[in-house]
Amino acid sequence: MTHITRRDFLISGAALAAAGALPTAWAQQRGPLRIGLITPLSGPQEFIGSYVKNGAEIAVDQINKAGGVLGRQLALVTRDDKANPAAGVAAARELLTDGVNLHIGVISSTVTLALGPVMQQDNGVLLTTGAGTEKMNHENYTPNVFRIGDSPDARARGQARLMAQRYPNVTRWTGLIPDHEYGRTTWAIFVDGLLEFYPALAGKKPEVLDPVLMPYGVSDFRNSITLAMRQSADGCFNSTYGGDAITMFQQARGFGLVQRYKILVDAANEFLIARGMKSAVPPMWTGMHYYPEANKGNPMSDRFIADYTAKTKDAEPMGWAAEAHSAIYALARAIEKGKSAESKAVIQNLKGLTWDTVTGPRTLRPEDNQAIKDTELVFIEPANTEKGYQVTQYVKVDGRSVIFPPSPGKAMTFRKP
Amino acid sequence: MGLAEWATTLVNAMTWAMATFLVAAGLTLIFGILHILNFSHGGFFMIGAYVAFTLLTRLGGANSFSAYLLAACAAAVVVALLGALVDRVILQRLRRVEDAYVLIATYALLLVCEGGTKLIWGLGYQSLQPPSPFEGAVVVGNFAVPAFSLFVIGAGLAVFAGLEWLLGRTAAGRLIRAVAMDPWTARLLGVNVTRVFAMTVVAGFALAGLAGGLLLANQSLSPELASVFIIQAFGVIIVGGMGSVRGAFLGAMLLGLIESVGSYILPDLPGLLFFAALAVILLWRPQGLLGRERGT
Repeated sequence: MTHITRRDFLISGAALAAAGALPTAWAQQRGPLRIGLITPLSGPQEFIGSYVKNGAEIAVDQINKAGGVLGRQLALVTRDDKANPAAGVAAARELLTDGVNLHIGVISSTVTLALGPVMQQDNGVLLTTGAGTEKMNHENYTPNVFRIGDSPDARARGQARLMAQRYPNVTRWTGLIPDHEYGRTTWAIFVDGLLEFYPALAGKKPEVLDPVLMPYGVSDFRNSITLAMRQSADGCFNSTYGGDAITMFQQARGFGLVQRYKILVDAANEFLIARGMKSAVPPMWTGMHYYPEANKGNPMSDRFIADYTAKTKDAEPMGWAAEAHSAIYALARAIEKGKSAESKAVIQNLKGLTWDTVTGPRTLRPEDNQAIKDTELVFIEPANTEKGYQVTQYVKVDGRSVIFPPSPGKAMTFRKP
Repeated sequence: MGLAEWATTLVNAMTWAMATFLVAAGLTLIFGILHILNFSHGGFFMIGAYVAFTLLTRLGGANSFSAYLLAACAAAVVVALLGALVDRVILQRLRRVEDAYVLIATYALLLVCEGGTKLIWGLGYQSLQPPSPFEGAVVVGNFAVPAFSLFVIGAGLAVFAGLEWLLGRTAAGRLIRAVAMDPWTARLLGVNVTRVFAMTVVAGFALAGLAGGLLLANQSLSPELASVFIIQAFGVIIVGGMGSVRGAFLGAMLLGLIESVGSYILPDLPGLLFFAALAVILLWRPQGLLGRERGT
């Protein structure tokens, strides 16, 4: 009988493990360059995930048609994160174990925060295409996670700056704020912007009322609307989102709530509310990742719209598609710059990278992995058109003029009324 | 709190209560007779809403009150037919198995509803405004109430009255109650129990479809709608007493009041009083307020 010593066992095990890993590593270096697309393909954010998927696929097609990256074709490996941290972590670990080290697409803040330590631990790279959490660049900063879109401080402070410029007499503000981390943070940043820009640009001190907290994922907002009706505000900042926002504005019509405000600013619904409510949409400014009309003449944007329309028959993609498109191009440029798809090299070359996107050139700030990008804002009104609404104004606020300086590892601090 | 504020709070409470009761009515009816906890109920409520939406948008919107009501009735018929199919294909096979299998099967059916809705109507958000008589507000002095809230309250009361009449004053209702109390004896007496069960499922599904149509203008429409109402609907039937239509009605009004007053007293903690009350009521009466009135 042959005895197997512990040393023999360990050596055999190591050899087997190496043999198992070899084909994966070899395939990752020789075959198509695989990029993980982790995004919600089911659950409440599936609709937004569909834009992310389409945008990423268009970018991959465009790059492959142009010859790929370093002579290699790109291939997306898509996984569903369900906008759920546990599902996101499981998807990321599966891809990382399979040798896929570069990822894009996560749009949920909680999933992004959950994936930070995973990426750092397993030497992966993640480019989020819509997560709104400021923590990823601050107290939860990890060098392996990048945001290629506008930061929450740039977005909400850009909106506050625009209000101070366009509506200097609207100085009494309130908020319709969902009762969760994102809602409260967005409101805190918007208030910070009001307190900075109204005195600086309008020469007036704004009065900030307590925001009305909205429940999340419910069928009835009438009690919260009644609380809002008791206030006397000229301007209102909304950060309720998606179906909740439509339900809330639909029920608010019966109370005449929106008519009480001189101006309504919406944090980030893009065309979600307008498409859902059509001619019943309340007139509002809303924040966009990307508005095609504002980027007409940019060859990358024009080509993106042509390809998106051909793929989906939708000529007005929402911004998450553009963010996914920009993320793929950022990875491609970083790989080309460093001539390597290894995580360490990609991270090094993403930091400080300036690359062309559908919204113009963006730069990834090396200190905290945050893109410097203009904030795109549009004013939507009901209209007697087929869509039921139209954009009557749009502006780009220079991202550098409103973004906070980098402070990785430290929580943001805000001005308070 | 002034008189106008109390009145607004009361109207909000009743609107919440009647909207929730409309969704819960079919759920509690089926549980009362078949003792099946139908997880897919929210899915069929959603399908009812989409059917009514499709009909009304084909007709150019919901401007006419009669068109709105007709679309809701059509949604009830379509979902009732789906109910007959579900009973034949799924529920009849589950009558003699453990409850856990029924829960899993109806949850799977919910996923089928969501998947089918995505395939037919897409992922995007939709909405429809109330018919023109119920747009805007009714103003009395310094008290204004959304007209559509009055419609929802009226619809809830009408459905409750209709169910009370059906179950308490008609032969069919007496038959249903007899089967709910003792199906074995009812069968011995020559009652076709399988048929009564099937009728109850069809009626429960019709109520889900009707609720979808009536509440179409109340909230946004998307494949998420299946789960939006269902937690509060389960809440009211648990508080009221599983299987009791009267209990669901009472539970809805009680929780609606608690929700409304809670949001006034604790505006920074929306929903807290609702869940606290739910816990206290269940500790006090685990069987629910009218828990013994099975099938009534």
